[in-house]
Amino acid sequence: MEQILKVEGLCRDYGRGTVTHAVDHVDFSVEKGEFVGIMGPSGSGKTTLLNCISTIDTPTAGHIWVEGQDITTLKQKELSRFRRERLGFVFQDCNLLDTLTAYENIALALTIRKTPVRQVDPLVKETAQLLEITECLNKYPYQMSGGQQQRTAAARAIITQPALILADEPTGALDSKSARLLLERFEVMNQLRQATILMVTHDAFTASYCHRILVLRDGAVFAQLERGNQDRRDFFRRIIDVVTELGGDQSNVL
Amino acid sequence: MFSKLAVKNVGRSFRDYGVYFLTVAFGVCLFYVFNALETQTVIRYLAQHPRTNIVGAIQQLIGILSVFVWVVLAFLILYASGFLVRRRSRELGTYLMLGMERWQVARLLLAETAVTALVALVVGLVLGVVLSQALSIFTAGLFAVPRTFFAFSISVPALLKTILAFAAIFLLVMLYHAFTVSRRKLIDLLRARRVNQELKVRSLGASVFFFLAGCVLLVIAYAMLLTRGLLRVDALFWVMLGLGSLGTLLFFRALSGFLLRLCQSNKKLYYKNLNMFILRQFNANINTTYRSMTVICLMLLLAIGITATSVGLNNTVAQMADQTIVQDVELAVWEEKGEIPDLPAALKEAGFDPDEQCSRWLSFPVYRDEDGHSIMIQADYDAYAAAWGQEVVDSFVDSWRVRLVPQVEEGLTADRCYFLADYAGDAQTTEEAFLAALDQAHFLYSYTYTTKLSTWMELMGTKVLVLFIGLYLGVVFLVASAAVLALQQLSQAADSAQRYRVLSRLGVSERMRGRSVDIQVFLAFFLPLALALVHAVVGMTAANAVIAQVGKVDAAASSAVTALLLVAVYGGYFLATCWGSRKILRASA
Repeated sequence: MEQILKVEGLCRDYGRGTVTHAVDHVDFSVEKGEFVGIMGPSGSGKTTLLNCISTIDTPTAGHIWVEGQDITTLKQKELSRFRRERLGFVFQDCNLLDTLTAYENIALALTIRKTPVRQVDPLVKETAQLLEITECLNKYPYQMSGGQQQRTAAARAIITQPALILADEPTGALDSKSARLLLERFEVMNQLRQATILMVTHDAFTASYCHRILVLRDGAVFAQLERGNQDRRDFFRRIIDVVTELGGDQSNVL
Repeated sequence: MFSKLAVKNVGRSFRDYGVYFLTVAFGVCLFYVFNALETQTVIRYLAQHPRTNIVGAIQQLIGILSVFVWVVLAFLILYASGFLVRRRSRELGTYLMLGMERWQVARLLLAETAVTALVALVVGLVLGVVLSQALSIFTAGLFAVPRTFFAFSISVPALLKTILAFAAIFLLVMLYHAFTVSRRKLIDLLRARRVNQELKVRSLGASVFFFLAGCVLLVIAYAMLLTRGLLRVDALFWVMLGLGSLGTLLFFRALSGFLLRLCQSNKKLYYKNLNMFILRQFNANINTTYRSMTVICLMLLLAIGITATSVGLNNTVAQMADQTIVQDVELAVWEEKGEIPDLPAALKEAGFDPDEQCSRWLSFPVYRDEDGHSIMIQADYDAYAAAWGQEVVDSFVDSWRVRLVPQVEEGLTADRCYFLADYAGDAQTTEEAFLAALDQAHFLYSYTYTTKLSTWMELMGTKVLVLFIGLYLGVVFLVASAAVLALQQLSQAADSAQRYRVLSRLGVSERMRGRSVDIQVFLAFFLPLALALVHAVVGMTAANAVIAQVGKVDAAASSAVTALLLVAVYGGYFLATCWGSRKILRASA
């Protein structure tokens, strides 16, 4: 299997004097077509890790390779290009441009890559169909539900066929029904398009859709769970067990 | 404690306060320069000449106009401080949430405003003094005033007036702050940044209709102006102004929708780079800005119109000064009981010796026949022509409809006697000697005189008045509209920081984002200017028709000066706004 992402000895410190190790020597890798989740209580460094991988933040030490390219050595200009061509994003908020319709939001990902105009329309429509948002393509973000907005963001992330899709708490602001719809779409993206997805979440239910889960605590990998051929429900129970173990006597921290 | 927090706040939100600070400092500077007119070398030169009361008239006019300028500046500063409060509403909300009383927050804002205002006032006054001196040197050169008149000076009344005027503005600002803080709900303050504005996109039909309606109204107004002329102020004149303004409003209101639809129909253009985003952004903003765009367009029109007209008029006046009289002095004494005096002898007796104090002089009588026509002797005509040239004497003959005769005939009576002379030596002292002699001479006769110097003084006064006030008002309007635009663009940049952050994450390079900002600022600056220029060309055509009745219009010079001023002030603001917007967005990315 082709390796898409490889993280080695990644550290990210904050502050001067008394240094906080937000991410502390993390190693892991993601293969092509995998759906990987990162879990952990708040303050465990999962968002910092994702920010480093998405090149929004720069690590203090360590290396990140995406498709064999070390992105920690890229310059500002190359970073923009890298984000534009190799990454897709779905964030909890600040996702869609409120001045653009859903259609235009999705198309924007193509136009900034200078995709020929005649390819834009078929690509947008096809992707919208995949994420089941065809009926709200001409709506503005404020006219759509949270779930529709997130699926639009997912469509925007996948339309450029990136090497890696990064999702930061995508279900964080959604009700359970919308969350399930979105996660099912993630699965479809993963299966039909062989999209490689790395998702940060603190929710065990959301995490249970992944193939593999990294559990972080205090900036380091605390446990790794493989779903294998397990049923999602069984996997969910296993996750809960780990969460309980992680939390010790305070099992509600997650 | 509060003063400490206030001073620290000003320091911290320096970028936000920067815009406000610049606006106030610039306003103070302009206001001082305008009111400190008496420190101007040209004005002092005119004032020391006792026979021209033009300076008093100028200062009176300035007094009235500065009220007008004050109102414009007050609005500008209020707008700037509104922008400031809006940007910091979240911070203010946090203070309230932490349990500060509303009056305490208001007091905090007050203290911050006071700190900024005080510094801006001092900086503005220093700038004003420097600028007025620079302007003084510049205009003195322009009007060829002797260098000896130049001296460094500060106008205390203008200083006091400026301080008072701005104290009043700050009082207004403080009231406004107190009002805003006490009225706004906490939830609105905290969530100010997350307000989702509704985007109204009008249908293509409506956009096209409004756009065309605006154009038609403008064309009607233009046609009325050009056929009726500028000076017929009646009911129809106001209808014309109303049509023009309404046309401008409709034009801007429909423009963005029209532009958007037009570009959307061209997929190749629309789906290219960030074009889609830029157009949408522009469209989203114009729903709130079309009114201010209209006002700015009209202000720009005033700026361009006033500047161009005043420069054009100024050149016309200058031409008139050269044409009016050729001799340094022209004295005419009318007959009394059929007698005319021997002018050179009378002047010499009174202490002014023409042979000594004039480089050349001529005295001759003019007669009248039974029908009252003026008659001149051929010999005098020849002497006149020899002294000042054929052209000059011919224009004299033409203006009085003088008939030439070889010698004095029967039936002619002496009507008046002329004394024409060019001074020898210093014109100023010679003229004083001449005027003193004229007072001394006790002519029993009625006399009139014009001297080149006094005519020049009068015309110079008019010239300074027209040019100075025209340029000043032009600059004030230009600065006011440019500053409003700059503030609006900066606040919009701050509001759309979130969008640019998303773009940055999507991998839009900094160059591309910068270009998008520049285009938006350019559209905001250029569109009102473009329409204002069209307005101005039509308006100037009408205005020049009026000026042309008085003298020749120098269209090239007036256009050049206006263009220069426009490029300097407006262009400067445009570049600064681009830079500022980019900086705001870079900081947030």
